[in-house]
Amino acid sequence: MTTPEQLEEPQKVTWCTGCGNFGILAALKKAVLELDTPVHNLVISSGIGCSGKIPHYIGGVNSFHTLHGRPIPIATGIHMANKNLDVIVHAGDGDTLGEGLGHLIHTARRNVNIVVFIHNNGVMGLTKGQFSPAAPRGYVSNTSPPPPGAPMAPANPVTQAITTGATYVARGFSGDQKALVKMMVEAVKHKGFAVVDILQPCQTWNRQLTWKFYNDNTYSLQENGHDVSNKLEALEKALVVEDQIPVGVFYKVDAPDLAAGIALPQDVPLKDHTTNLKDVQQIIDDLII
Amino acid sequence: MDITFNIGGEAGQGIDTIGDLLTEVFVQAGFYTFTIKDFESRIRGGYNFTQVRVSDKPIHAPVDYIDVIVALSRDAVVGQRDRLVEEGVIIFDDTIEFDDLEACHFRAPLEKIAKEVGGNIRMMNAAALGAILSVIRFPFKLAEEALNAIFGRKGEKIVAGNVAVAKALYDLTMESFAGTCRCNLDTLESGPSKDKLLLTGNRALALGAIAANLKWISSYPMSPSTSLFMDVVSYSRELNIGALQTEDEIASICMAIGASYAGARSMVTTSGGGFALMSEAVGLSAMAETPVVIYNAQRPGPSTGLPTRTEQADLFFMGFAGQGEFPRIMLAPKDPLEAFDVATRAFNLADKFQIPVMILGDQYFADSVMNVPRIDVSSVKVDRGKLAKPGPDPDYKRYLLTKDGISPRAFPGDEGKSIVSSGNVHREDGHITEDAEMRNKMVAKFMNKLPAIIESLNPPELYGDEGAEVTLLTWGSTWGAANEAMQILKDAGVSINQLHFCDIYPLRTDKLRKVLEKSKQIISVEQNVTSQFAQLVKMATGISVHHYVNKYDGRPMTARWIVEEIKEVGIK
Repeated sequence: MTTPEQLEEPQKVTWCTGCGNFGILAALKKAVLELDTPVHNLVISSGIGCSGKIPHYIGGVNSFHTLHGRPIPIATGIHMANKNLDVIVHAGDGDTLGEGLGHLIHTARRNVNIVVFIHNNGVMGLTKGQFSPAAPRGYVSNTSPPPPGAPMAPANPVTQAITTGATYVARGFSGDQKALVKMMVEAVKHKGFAVVDILQPCQTWNRQLTWKFYNDNTYSLQENGHDVSNKLEALEKALVVEDQIPVGVFYKVDAPDLAAGIALPQDVPLKDHTTNLKDVQQIIDDLII
Repeated sequence: MDITFNIGGEAGQGIDTIGDLLTEVFVQAGFYTFTIKDFESRIRGGYNFTQVRVSDKPIHAPVDYIDVIVALSRDAVVGQRDRLVEEGVIIFDDTIEFDDLEACHFRAPLEKIAKEVGGNIRMMNAAALGAILSVIRFPFKLAEEALNAIFGRKGEKIVAGNVAVAKALYDLTMESFAGTCRCNLDTLESGPSKDKLLLTGNRALALGAIAANLKWISSYPMSPSTSLFMDVVSYSRELNIGALQTEDEIASICMAIGASYAGARSMVTTSGGGFALMSEAVGLSAMAETPVVIYNAQRPGPSTGLPTRTEQADLFFMGFAGQGEFPRIMLAPKDPLEAFDVATRAFNLADKFQIPVMILGDQYFADSVMNVPRIDVSSVKVDRGKLAKPGPDPDYKRYLLTKDGISPRAFPGDEGKSIVSSGNVHREDGHITEDAEMRNKMVAKFMNKLPAIIESLNPPELYGDEGAEVTLLTWGSTWGAANEAMQILKDAGVSINQLHFCDIYPLRTDKLRKVLEKSKQIISVEQNVTSQFAQLVKMATGISVHHYVNKYDGRPMTARWIVEEIKEVGIK
């Protein structure tokens, strides 16, 4: 059994006071305690930014703090090498909707059995407040052209995930621990590509998407009746983002995952499989004319 | 005996098949072959050729004079006519219109006989073969044995049909071809070669990789690297290798790094443009000390360049790709036989030093076919390098500081260990830090690997006498043509040797200094415009090359071309 002591942070946390990431970290730890996966079989692959530092604030687990935008393909590689691992991506909206949007979409198409937790705060925090791909149209920041602010619509991770083939798609809120932990556990246990868009205020830079904004403008999908197996209904709800933001599970279905279509060994993880040199010799000898 | 055949036509006409058949006949009959493929970046039409050189002595490069041209299109005659030797022959299908027929031309009813005798237009390949063998007076009995062996796998009916078509054209040519050919092989018996494994550079790398226990490959198709990936995919089910075509090269290398972090030997295949996309992740591999093998089948750049042609111009690019400074290894095999060995070494070196290892091929290396002796895999050793002791260890540190800079590896899933990796500067336990002292220690850790890296690389090969006055300095696939050029010059009385490198980076300088310091005239021969390897040698040793031979038109070198270039600098 995993204990809270095992998960204690190996390093002092450097996030700002009041940062939404604290809620995500707390929920992650609770989820890890709730999951029956031993910590040595858990791997966090993180991107770059404030969210990317999360592996350094949770002990006991394995982790790979990677590149901006690339934690998802790295997680895919980890998962394929060892399917016994539960692989969790923690990445920001810049990681998943900017540099890494292509990876998010293609990993959804493949239905890779990994989880992505998007720390979505609408802003590039660590580089000091530029508009992110998730920033609303008109968002004013130090790199959005004045006026009118960000002259483009935000990327919507939930619609992206649903339309491209993710099989578990949810939206959580850093301020609603109970629901977030439940979603995290479900997402990790789900067999297939799971995406959880986690709303998370950036206390320092984002004056628009604040704790108050989210508390006032979100509602629970599950409490208001929603069929998670209905793709069109899920999409319809996911398309609403402005005043009443739905939170909860949008979509959950079963579909063949990537590993099922790749020539992985049946009995052992790929990393422990050894090619028989006799088979290689046979391949060579068959080429002899 | 040294004969060259050029089979040309449009993409999709089956010129490769004729070339393959011809090669196989000669290999079966005991000869050495070297085949190059010259094709345009298009699916159908255009003008492509396959050129087969055959000899009773080992050969490692094409030549630029042709004995027999087989033309399936008008362009194939026009494109090669100037390179035909005196008493060379051009065989062309009689459906092609010519109003300026010359004596060397032989109008052959290839399509007609294939249909009439074989009942299948696809047997035009056998028809062409029959005509070729006939003009060189190749004993049909020898050809028949070879054809039986080649088609034997496809069932008797096909054997009989193809042999009949080949024989029909063979006999018809004997009767009706009025011209003469330089080659007359009517007394030919089986040749001396026992080498019956036909390999391209790419296939040899694929075989080496699977023998080295490659377990994960992720790639995006890019000429001329793709055939390696295709080969591994074709073996993947039988050998349990994870293989995935990704959305782009960034995903390819990131997946490979992820798989490697989790314990599987991994590689990516690409060409220069794809490698450009990978370069940030090369740095991650280095910083996280997570080995990966990268194959770049080079083609002429910059940008899209000449997609289906050859160049050796990515040496600096690969040697210096990535921000910051870190150790890496670069290997450039000279031919398919060496490629098998290079692939197995690449994985062992990557694991041993926990660094990215790059294999540099090029289109010429990737696509050229030669027959080599049977490869025996029993001597292949898989060395995973320094591994942590199994069992729980709460104090396990992925980046433990050691004297040689190498920390024992463990993998996620190992009970009682937490494996923490990062592309940020990190502490011994893998968690990030900005501490100046730790930064210095981690940089020193990288640099401490270098002496052992250099020690583990192979010194260059010297061909010819050590004390020779002239030295040809070569690397990678230009070996064959340069080696032949050296022989030609040596036979002409020039005091010359060749110093050839497979392991090109970091540069091992011991033997290099020894040879080059004795040489009065060093001539670099490179398939690029800026003599990158010669520059690297100067950087590492201060030794300057005296003359530079460069080719950058995208076509492979030949010995004769190199000899001419060398003569131009005044060496005769």
